[in-house]
Amino acid sequence: MTGDILFQQYPVVPHIWDEMKNAEHIRQQYHTIYDAVSNLNLQDLQQKDKLASELFMSQGITFTVYSNDEGIERIFPFDIIPRIITSAEWNHIETGIKQRLKALNLFLKDIYNEQQIVKDNIIPAALIASCPHFTREVFGIEVPYDIYVHIAGIDLIRGDNGTFYILEDNLRTPSGVSYMLENREVTKRIFPDLLANSNVRMINNYPLILHDNLMALSPRQNENPVVVLLTPGVFNSAYFEHTFLARQMGIPLVEGRDLVVDNQKVYMKTTAGLNQVDVIYRRVDDEFLDPLVFRPESALGVPGLISAYRKGNVAIANALGNGVADDKAVYTYVPDMIKYYLNEEPVLSNVPTYQLKNEDERQYVFENMGKMVIKETNQSGGYGMVMGNSASQEVLDKAKVAILANPRNFIAQPIIQLSTVPCLLDGKLQPRHVDLRPYALCGPNGIEIVPGGLTRVALREGSLVVNSSQGGGSKDTWVIDMPATT
Amino acid sequence: MLSRIADSLFWLHRYMERADGMLRLIKTSYILSFDKVASGITWEPALKIFTSLSSEEIETLKRNDTAVLQYLITDTKNLNSLKVIVTRARENARGVQDQITKEVWEQVNQLYHMINHSSLSEKLSGPDAIVMIDALISSSDQLCGITDSTMPRGQGWNYMNLGKFTERCLSTVEFTNTFFKLVDYDFTKEEDILFWRGLLLALSGYELHLKNYSNQNHNCNVAQQVLFDKNFPRSLYYSLERANKYLCDVTESNPIDGTPHICRSFGRLHSYVKFSDLAIVAETGLETFLMNIRKELNEFSRMLGQTYFSYS
Repeated sequence: MTGDILFQQYPVVPHIWDEMKNAEHIRQQYHTIYDAVSNLNLQDLQQKDKLASELFMSQGITFTVYSNDEGIERIFPFDIIPRIITSAEWNHIETGIKQRLKALNLFLKDIYNEQQIVKDNIIPAALIASCPHFTREVFGIEVPYDIYVHIAGIDLIRGDNGTFYILEDNLRTPSGVSYMLENREVTKRIFPDLLANSNVRMINNYPLILHDNLMALSPRQNENPVVVLLTPGVFNSAYFEHTFLARQMGIPLVEGRDLVVDNQKVYMKTTAGLNQVDVIYRRVDDEFLDPLVFRPESALGVPGLISAYRKGNVAIANALGNGVADDKAVYTYVPDMIKYYLNEEPVLSNVPTYQLKNEDERQYVFENMGKMVIKETNQSGGYGMVMGNSASQEVLDKAKVAILANPRNFIAQPIIQLSTVPCLLDGKLQPRHVDLRPYALCGPNGIEIVPGGLTRVALREGSLVVNSSQGGGSKDTWVIDMPATT
Repeated sequence: MLSRIADSLFWLHRYMERADGMLRLIKTSYILSFDKVASGITWEPALKIFTSLSSEEIETLKRNDTAVLQYLITDTKNLNSLKVIVTRARENARGVQDQITKEVWEQVNQLYHMINHSSLSEKLSGPDAIVMIDALISSSDQLCGITDSTMPRGQGWNYMNLGKFTERCLSTVEFTNTFFKLVDYDFTKEEDILFWRGLLLALSGYELHLKNYSNQNHNCNVAQQVLFDKNFPRSLYYSLERANKYLCDVTESNPIDGTPHICRSFGRLHSYVKFSDLAIVAETGLETFLMNIRKELNEFSRMLGQTYFSYS
């Protein structure tokens, strides 16, 4: 079977935006892929698929599943057909994310200082006060350049008419960027010519930009500030990413036990004694960072870290307390923030969201449960989510009870049929739903977004849940410059 | 360099050196086991060194090649099996991925996946066993080469090599002790060279031995070679010289409190071998001599940990 037939057999599902094909035609941006794959037969493609898996395996880009006391190494599924975004679409996304991040940064500064937005009645005080990630312990702490969100992974989805929506803002420790970068490296190996011929924008300067931004945060006026990456350790599922970024930036990868605070300064324990640390890019959650301030049983953190942070002797990226801005209930107010702080209309819209503490909205949601997705406001990674169209009546009833017990803890959104892209599965090209997570970096010189991002795929047929913890995979994501569209 | 990193690099190389020595001994024993007439002791040294089985258990196991291979290579119930050792090496490598080169990491990882491959057990039971052992040895050799050609010569390199040569000394002590025990540590006897082939091949020193020694006094000659030969890369003398070099490099770049103490301690051990000869060893008794060295090496390793690796 040749690739040509694979394309002919590719089904288009009505009322769903397919990224490759509209009703009859292959979209222009997919022409190069179409030509290339058409010239291959199925065995070639499957060979490439196998090679990709082997590359991930041999590089240790794996996570460990434990069963019977033995660790089994698994790779995150990778689909070899890239997902393509045109430069016009990208410009729109880029503008929208920059605008949104600007507003969110201003919001975080405001909420941990003056709280004008609350005083002006834009956001209800009760909503902030009830947010579990609103961190009173960091109130009033000044951060370098007023940047709170140094790294953001904002999730976008595409509705049935091709419009991009913001699904959620990940402003704490967003992960996955190593997959964005490694996916590209693997594509270079399996489709070398294709990549060169397609005017794909480069993404591999991400670690360099991040490193520059982190260096700029150093509180000491020092030519070579000590920047470290703080990881929870080898058992963390994102550990590969931590080593990857540390290696790409050339900075030490440290664990909590490598650091010590003395006289409100942070040091790392080296073979030649203690060495002062200036900037910590932490991949440990807020509540584990300092057992003296947050969870006392945490062994991942560093006692006294927050005192050094408050004193300004160490910079931490991302800032602590960012969870208040990516809370799913606060999300509803981001368009208002954009208007309030920037006096602009939002470029990218939110998905319509119902606040379940509001009685009218709750009533409406309960009546239309089958068309809704219910989410817990402080959860991420696909946990705490109920899809109304596929859940059993029992699960729905349970959700209702939980909502009534603590309505602030839930939001509901109409189920959006995410756009689909072709995936090579079981020897066929099949449409699967995807989202898009571009990675934005905020530094003293502004916000930069490397052109691309992580495309996450729901590999099960019909599934709309793309999280890797729920059986999702990923794809390389190309932003390509095209001649003016016809 | 972070203390934790130094610790992991040290142990990464200790484990890899142990795995390497073990693989060579396994290969030698396996090949010799085909000559059933030889001395009938083929698997005994390997089982004594790399398992904690009792003499009776060894007695029953040693006649079954396949069972021995499984127990030494893939059985995780044996806490010193190759699989366990390589897994530990990889855990150490995983924790310091940003400090070793990508090439080194991928090679450690490759060896790990090779040992964990579901087909390994089956292949070891059949005629492919020797192919698999060779592949493992080749992978271990590649790691040495890749490390040598890609790792920067800095602190990390020093700790790695300190681990490697400390372990090599210990391996040579263990191997030598186990084989000489079988001849009651007697230098005056003249054992058949076929007996010593087991030890010499496991230490990759058989050819060197044939080149250097022409008389029949094998027991003395073998002891001379594995203890004092300056040019034999697995002799005690050579390994301690190398360890000494890397210890000097470490102490030079980390002049902290415990440094003079550790230098004195290692210096005593180094001199003990450097300024001995076979006559002194014969007088002390080979067993006592080897056990003293083992004790001092373990003490040195502990002290090294205390001085440079204490972080938790």
